[in-house]
Amino acid sequence: MPPIENDTGKNDLKSQIQLLIDSNQVMVFSKSYCPYCVKVKDLFKELKLEFNAMELDLIEDGTNYQDMLLEMTGQKSVPNVFINKTHVGGCDKTLQAHKDGSLQQLLCAETEAYDYDLIVIGGGSGGLACSKEAAALGKKAMVLDYVVPTPKGTTWGLGGTCVNVGCIPKKLMHQTAMLGTAIQDARKFGWEIDEKVKHNWDTMKDAVSNYIGSLNWGYRVALRDKNVNYVNAYAEFIEPHKVKATNKRGKETFYTAEKFIIATGERPRYLGIPGDKEYCITSDDLFSLPHCPGKTLVIGASYVALECGGFLAGLGLDVTVMVRSILLRGFDQEMANRAGEHMEEHGVKFLRKYVPIKVEELEAGSPGRLKVTAKSTESDEVIEGEYNTVLIAVGRDACTDKIGLDKTGVKVNPKTGKVPVSDEEQTNVPHIYAIGDILEGKWELTPVAIQAGRLLARRLYGGGKLKCDYINVPTTVFTPLEYGCCGLSEDRAIELYGQENLEVFHSLFWPLEFTVPNRDNNKCYAKIICNKLDNDRVIGFHYLGPNAGEVTQGFGTAMKCGATKEQLDNTIGIHPTCAEIFTTLEVTKSSGGDITTSGC
Amino acid sequence: MAHRLLVRRFWTLSSKDLRCLPVSSSSSFSTSLQSSRVPVLSRSLALASLRRAASFNVQDHDDFDVRVIKSELPVLVDFHAQWCGPCKILGPRLEKAVAKQSGKVTMAKVDIDDHTDLAIEYGVSAVPTVIAIRGGDVIDRFVGIKDEDELESFVSKLIGK
Ligand SMILES: Cc1cc2nc3c(=O)[nH]c(=O)nc-3n(C[C@H](O)[C@H](O)[C@H](O)COP(=O)(O)OP(=O)(O)OC[C@H]3O[C@@H](n4cnc5c(N)ncnc54)[C@H](O)[C@@H]3O)c2cc1C
Repeated sequence: MPPIENDTGKNDLKSQIQLLIDSNQVMVFSKSYCPYCVKVKDLFKELKLEFNAMELDLIEDGTNYQDMLLEMTGQKSVPNVFINKTHVGGCDKTLQAHKDGSLQQLLCAETEAYDYDLIVIGGGSGGLACSKEAAALGKKAMVLDYVVPTPKGTTWGLGGTCVNVGCIPKKLMHQTAMLGTAIQDARKFGWEIDEKVKHNWDTMKDAVSNYIGSLNWGYRVALRDKNVNYVNAYAEFIEPHKVKATNKRGKETFYTAEKFIIATGERPRYLGIPGDKEYCITSDDLFSLPHCPGKTLVIGASYVALECGGFLAGLGLDVTVMVRSILLRGFDQEMANRAGEHMEEHGVKFLRKYVPIKVEELEAGSPGRLKVTAKSTESDEVIEGEYNTVLIAVGRDACTDKIGLDKTGVKVNPKTGKVPVSDEEQTNVPHIYAIGDILEGKWELTPVAIQAGRLLARRLYGGGKLKCDYINVPTTVFTPLEYGCCGLSEDRAIELYGQENLEVFHSLFWPLEFTVPNRDNNKCYAKIICNKLDNDRVIGFHYLGPNAGEVTQGFGTAMKCGATKEQLDNTIGIHPTCAEIFTTLEVTKSSGGDITTSGC
Repeated sequence: MAHRLLVRRFWTLSSKDLRCLPVSSSSSFSTSLQSSRVPVLSRSLALASLRRAASFNVQDHDDFDVRVIKSELPVLVDFHAQWCGPCKILGPRLEKAVAKQSGKVTMAKVDIDDHTDLAIEYGVSAVPTVIAIRGGDVIDRFVGIKDEDELESFVSKLIGK
């Protein structure tokens, strides 16, 4: 690595070093082989102090660092120790400072000066869980939560995505749709219901909103009762230990803390085509839409797209889903396609291999009329369609770009905006942690964010050792025919273990509840993927059928316990249920055997 | 003097924003400024009903201070929310119980979503929560629904009957 000649390079380096000094309570510039360095690091370990050591011999431009440190401190040798932004010096000076107590003083001065032990940015699933836990462990904790309104002006209360515009309203509206199916089935079971059954969007929307209102209040009260200081303001770092909080009236307040947890979650992505923000809505708007959406185009094939399209169709609306390539990316593709086929059979139209290019308003109203122009991904074909509502559900972006992370040095994946963390949810800046949807390569699920947040607080403040386990996380997609899974998709399992080392057991089944109404025969499907090299351990669990969440939850525990095919076979089923199918799986995929069902 | 000031304040507020007038005939607790559910009553009618009304919607912390804490009369504070079903049943019953005491007690209605800080300050965990305040002090409270007889004795106790 050549020495840096130009000023910009030098200034960059200088600010990089300054950032390290500013953001670490104890910063040691060190060399891995240097015995004096080892000595000071041992001292800090003995004092149980968190420190950041940069080994200059192990990084590419270490000599440049050393030159710059000389310029900044007049000291060329290592270790070069900083405590609370103050230059302490080398090994002797540090040991001396420890002896005469000045080291302790340096350490205390700053910790006491922070307003809070912990500030959590984002009051969603993860943020609330960890701030409450930290406060319960006696720490002075603050949560900053603020909802930036959607382009349509929709906004909501405390609790984050899941409560307000995610899991909760989604599942309740899914339930609304399921009840519609139940009413149809009911006739076959002898219930005499008027031929014309109508659904009232406003009644559903108000009931859902009211329930959410009560949850928002519950969260607020819980924060008060647990002694977490809550501020309804948008937070942004302005220094490694300091945030600026702007409330809805634009008033700015500043808070400092020893540690930070970022839990800002994600927001729906827009398409970046003409008319998207003006005329389209996202899931952030749908659940509180003041009018029935009418004929709807759903753009995207994410689980949010399929769930929303599914329940809207279940309410009796005309629904089209526009898909660029595949359904449910990242999920088992066989299952995804089966769930999609079921939707298609129940009236949802799919426009496959199209991408929208513009959205125009034909007529304003509630709902109005929109024209969508789309083009094929395979040819020059351009199509047009008219809808009352266009719902964009093409993915979500992490809220990490407008929170001043550059002021802290926290690294973010520049492509995805996601934050890489250690297995203890620590970012590259030691006093800043991150949890929930913004994490790179982790699950975007409420219980995962909650678990990670709670365990993190226990590790930080309660002597906890347990880390969040991101393996074998069970989950469910609430499509009209629900899809529950845990562990690996078949596609991923083949990639990891090779087809020859896997045995896949599968079966179609017909829920007893479906027999009398005589619907959806041989649509429900169960599949497990077993690792032949490891005792036929179940490494993938997949279920397409009613109550998928309820069915999958317990098998998630079984997989955590390392369940094998033999153990499933030895389990006695509960009859008559859907879940019992997993105790009697016999046909392997490789055998090509018949998996259609016939009676009990 | 204090009393006159108070009355003036009451009038200015009310005539400034008709939409915030209490609607004696409706059980709706909507205090939201955007709410269009309150029919635009003829002004004189609205003002007339106001003169009779023993209850009012709290506007903000200062308003609470003047009309509740510094009130010469005992005040029942009804902490309620628009999303709360039981609140919609209790509200009219409370109004009735207060009206029966012909001017010996007033009733302040606080929407906990609009005035979260007040609700948090007064330890409200669930709605409806009703707090009885006399001379600025909380002297009684209950959470949940009560029937008309129970409410009557609650109010009587407050005015020292
Ligand atoms: C339609 C939909 C359906 C879903 N269904 C399910 C489901 O069925 N099951 C499931 O497990 N998960 C579901 N999820 C996912 C789940 O909602 C998320 O995984 C979960 O909410 C993530 O929690 P979090 O704490 O990371 O962030 P969030 O819950 O998103 O909370 C982040 C909070 O931080 C706030 N914030 C952001 N930036 C700032 C800032 N700078 N200052 C202050 N506050 C800020 C946000 O406004 C938000 O309130 C669903 C999501 C969607 C969109």
